[in-house]
Amino acid sequence: MSEPRDPLRRVVVAGAGQVGVLAAIGIKRALPGAEVAVLGLARDPGALADHATTALPFTNRLHDRLGIDQDAILARAGGSHRLVTRYFGWGGPGQSGAAPYGAAVEPALRTRFAQEWGGGPRNSASGMTAASLAEVLADAGRFAVPPAGEIGSEVAALAAVEYALRWQPEAYHALLVEAAQRLGVSHVPGELAGIEPDGMGGIAALAVAGAERLSADLFLDCTGPSARLLAAMPGFALEDWSAELPLRRLILGRPGQGMLALEDRFSLLAEGWLGELAGRDGLRVALGVAEGVTEDAALRALGAPPLAAFQIEQGRARAPWLGNVVALGDAAARFEPLAHLNLDLAHRQLDLLLELLPGRAIEPLERAEYNRRSALMMDAVRDTLAAHYAAPAAQHVFGPALLSPGLASALDQFTRRGRLPSREEAALSGQELRSLLAALGFAPGQVPQAASVDGAQVEEEGRRFRHRAEAALAAAPPYAEFMTR
Amino acid sequence: MTQDRPIPVRVVVLGGGTAGWMSAAGIAALLPGLATVTLVESEDIGIVGVGEATLPHIRGYVERLGIDEAAFMRATHATYKLGIDFRDFGSIGTSYVHPFGSFGEKVAGVGFHHYWLELARQGQAGPLGDYSLAVAAARANRFKPPAQDESLASTYGYAYQFDATLFGPFMRQHGLGLGVERIEGLVTSVERDPESGDVAALILKDGRRVEGELFIDCSGFRSLLLGGELAEPWEDWSQWLPCDRAAAMPCAHVPDAPLRPYTTAAAMPAGWRWQIPLQHRMGNGYVFASSFLSEDEACEAIRAAAEGEPLADPRVLRFRAGRRRNSWQGNVVAVGLASGFLEPLESTSIYLAQMAITYLIELFPAGGGIDARDRDEFNRLVDMEYDRVRDFLILHYHATTRDDAPFWDHVRTMRVPDSLADKLELWRRAARVERYADGLFYDASWIAVYVGQGMLPDRHDPRAALADPVRVKAALDRLRQAIAGEVAAMPEHGAFLASEAARLAEAA
Repeated sequence: MSEPRDPLRRVVVAGAGQVGVLAAIGIKRALPGAEVAVLGLARDPGALADHATTALPFTNRLHDRLGIDQDAILARAGGSHRLVTRYFGWGGPGQSGAAPYGAAVEPALRTRFAQEWGGGPRNSASGMTAASLAEVLADAGRFAVPPAGEIGSEVAALAAVEYALRWQPEAYHALLVEAAQRLGVSHVPGELAGIEPDGMGGIAALAVAGAERLSADLFLDCTGPSARLLAAMPGFALEDWSAELPLRRLILGRPGQGMLALEDRFSLLAEGWLGELAGRDGLRVALGVAEGVTEDAALRALGAPPLAAFQIEQGRARAPWLGNVVALGDAAARFEPLAHLNLDLAHRQLDLLLELLPGRAIEPLERAEYNRRSALMMDAVRDTLAAHYAAPAAQHVFGPALLSPGLASALDQFTRRGRLPSREEAALSGQELRSLLAALGFAPGQVPQAASVDGAQVEEEGRRFRHRAEAALAAAPPYAEFMTR
Repeated sequence: MTQDRPIPVRVVVLGGGTAGWMSAAGIAALLPGLATVTLVESEDIGIVGVGEATLPHIRGYVERLGIDEAAFMRATHATYKLGIDFRDFGSIGTSYVHPFGSFGEKVAGVGFHHYWLELARQGQAGPLGDYSLAVAAARANRFKPPAQDESLASTYGYAYQFDATLFGPFMRQHGLGLGVERIEGLVTSVERDPESGDVAALILKDGRRVEGELFIDCSGFRSLLLGGELAEPWEDWSQWLPCDRAAAMPCAHVPDAPLRPYTTAAAMPAGWRWQIPLQHRMGNGYVFASSFLSEDEACEAIRAAAEGEPLADPRVLRFRAGRRRNSWQGNVVAVGLASGFLEPLESTSIYLAQMAITYLIELFPAGGGIDARDRDEFNRLVDMEYDRVRDFLILHYHATTRDDAPFWDHVRTMRVPDSLADKLELWRRAARVERYADGLFYDASWIAVYVGQGMLPDRHDPRAALADPVRVKAALDRLRQAIAGEVAAMPEHGAFLASEAARLAEAA
C-alpha cells in the first residue's frame, strides 16, 4: 500500500524579489505546516524577472490560485491591462501587427483541423492570418473585465478576451510581502556568508552574516543571474544562447509620463529594438542595442533619460534543479525582456515545482522529470525570442543568428505551409505563436486542407466574428472609464 | 484565396482495406482540387479488417468527412464503447476498466489519484473506477452520449465498436461518392523513375499502368511498396511485444446477456482474448505468441473460451510488432499495417492509420514536388505516436505478478525500453506520471493501468495526507454518489441502441 511521503519541513528561499516572495507563498500554501523562510539578499538589478513590470495571462491564473487578488493589483499596485503587443517594422518598413492572447480570434481564420480530427489534441494549429477581438478592442481603446459570475450573453464576447497585467513593481512587491507575512512566511535579512554542502550533491544550510545558519530540506535559488546557490552545486553548467540571440546590451529608460493603453509595443529601429510598456505610473522604455551602435545613437533612440544599462549574457542552467536546490527566474534562465517572457517563465517553473513538489527525500527521477519539462519551457522561450531575430528586417539590424532545428522547422512549416509543429511546454499556444509570427512579418503559407473549407461557411463565420466584435465593443466602455470606476 | 491553384497531384492508393479507403476518402474530401485519387484493389486479396474496436478520435474523422453518425453506425452495425475492461492482467481474478474519461479532479494542484491512494491506505476508498463516470457506466452496461457542458456528465468520451469488414466498404461507398477512381486489379510490378528512384507507376496483371506522383501504400502486412519495392528497414519490437498471431472466431451474442458498452480484453496463458460486442454479433479472438502456443492450440482455446454460438471457424492472422524505420520514403507513404503494427490491445490500429492520414493531409505536397522537410516532419510525428503507444502497450504485459505460464514469466521479467523503465520508476517512487501533450495516452490512462494491474506506488504526494481526512473522504463519497446517480439515470446500452434503432440499426 502506498504511503504518503514525508513532507518538506523547512524550505529556504534565497532572494526576496518578486520571484522569491511569490515562490515562498506558493510553497507555504501548498504545505501550510512547513517553515518557509525568505533570505532577503540585496537585490540584483540585472535580475530581469525580479524587475519585470508585467507577465502573461498565465500569471493571472497563478495569482488566483495563490490568493493574490487581481483587484488589489489594480487598485493598489498601479495595475493595468494589456490586450495585445504590437510589433512595428520587424517585417520591413511600415509593417506592423498585433499579437493577442488566448484563442479568441476570428474563427474563420483558423481551422481546427488537427484538433477535431485526431493526431493529437494540441498537435498543431493550422490557419491563416490572425485577427482578434483583443485587437479590435485595443484599436478602439475600449475594455472592461466583466464581473465574475455574471456573464450574460451581452458580455460573453468580452469575457473571452484574455489579457496580461502590468503593475508598479515596488507596490506589487509590497502586496506579495504582505500576503507572505499573512501566511506566516518568515523573512531573514542578511548577506550570504557561505554554503554548507550536505554531502549528497545538495545544501545542508546557508551561513548568513549576522544571523543564524539557515538549514532546510529544499532551497529555492531566486538570487538572479548569479545563481548563487545553484552555481555552487556539483554538476552545475550553463547553456549559452548567444549564437541564437544576438543581443548583448540593454538600456532601460527612466519611467516617463504614466498612461492608460491596452497595448504595448516593440519596434525595430536601426539602433536595435525599442520596447514601450504603458504603465499607469509611467511609460517604461527599453532599448535592446544592436552591435556597433554608439552610446549617443542608442540614447537618442531610447528617447528617455537612461535608468540602467547592462551587458546581458543570455542562456540557461543546463539543469535548474540540482541536489535539493531549485533555481527560479534569472537563476534558471537569463534572457532579454522582449515579448514579456521573463516573469512568465519564472511563474510557469514555479507552477511546475508546485505540481511536482517533492517530499523531504527527493527522488532523482522527479528531479529529472522537472529538469526535462523545465528545459522544454526554457528552450521554447529561447526559440520564441530567436523568432524575432529571424524576422525579415531584424536580420539587417542585428545580423544573422543561428536557428535551432526546432525553430528552423517551425518557421519553414509556417511560411511554406501555414502550419506550426506543436511544442511541448511552450509559453505561447499555437494560435498565439501564429499571431506573433504574423506580427513579426512572417507570411503564413497556404494550408492544403483549406481547399475543403466551404466559402459560404467562411463568410458566415466572418459575419459571426464581426457580430461578436460589435457586441464586445458595445459592452466595453472606454478603458479609462472602466479604470476609474 | 485560391489564386494559382496548382495542378492536382495524382495520388494512387494501393489496397482497398480499412486504411486504403480511409486514406482515399480523407484525401478526396479534404484536398479537393489539390489531388485526384485512384485506388487499386483486388478482390483476390482478402482484407485483414483490423480494429473492430476504436478510439474516440474516429468520431472526428467521421464528422470531418461530413458523414452522418447514424448512417455510419447503421452501416457498420456499431455499438458504443466507453473503454476496455482488462481482466486477469495484473493477476488472475482482477479486472479494471481503462475508460475514455478521467478519474476525479485535481484538488489544490494535487492529482486526484494521490488523494485516492491516501484514502485507500486508510481503508476508506472504493475501487478507483467508482470515481470515473465512464467506468461506472460501463460496469452498469449503461450508455448515453456525454453532455456538452462542463458538468460531471461531460467527463467522458466514447468510441464505436463496429464490424471492420463493413467499415472498409462503407468508406469505399463514401470515397466513390467523392470521386475516388477505383481500379480492380492485381499489382504485379512497380515502375520506378530511373533518376529519382521514385515510384512512377503500378503495373497490373493485365498490363495496365497506373501512374501517379504520390503513392499511398495500404497493402497491409505485405507493405508492397514501402517494405517491398523500397526495402525500407523494419524495426522489430517483438522482444517487448511477443504476440504475433490472432485466432479470430466471431460468435453470436449470448441470449439475454446485456450488451456491453465496452470491449473486453481477458488475459490468457499465452496472450489475451478480445470480446467486442457489435449490434449483430460478438467479435471474439485470441491474440497469442506463437513461441508459446501453437496455432492449433490457440484455435482450440478460443473455441473452448467462446461464450456464444460460434458463427465461423477460427481464422488465424499473422503479424509482428514493429514499424518501418520511416513511413514516408521517396514518394511512397505507408498508412496502416504497411507502415507498422501494434497489437490491438488498446484498439490503436485505426487510430494509427487516421493519425498518419491527418499528418499526410497537413503535410500534403500540393503541386506535386515533395519537400524533404515535410517528409522528415511526417516521419518524426509518426515515430513519436508509435513510440508512445508502444510503451503503453508494453506496460500492460510487464505490470503483472502472474507466474502461471511461461509467456507471463517472460513478459514480467523482460527488460523494458529505458523510456518505459523511467516512467515505471517515477510512478513507483512518487506516484507521478511523465507528462506529454502530444501522443495518445495521458495521465488518466497510465494511472488506470498502473492501479488496475496492481502496480501501486510506494509513495504518494505528501499533500494528500495533510488535508483533513474526514473532508477528503466526504468529497470522494460525494463524487462517487454523484456518479452513481448519473449512471442510474442512464438507459441500458442495449435499450439506448434499440430506442434509437430507427436511426442506428439496419432493418433486419
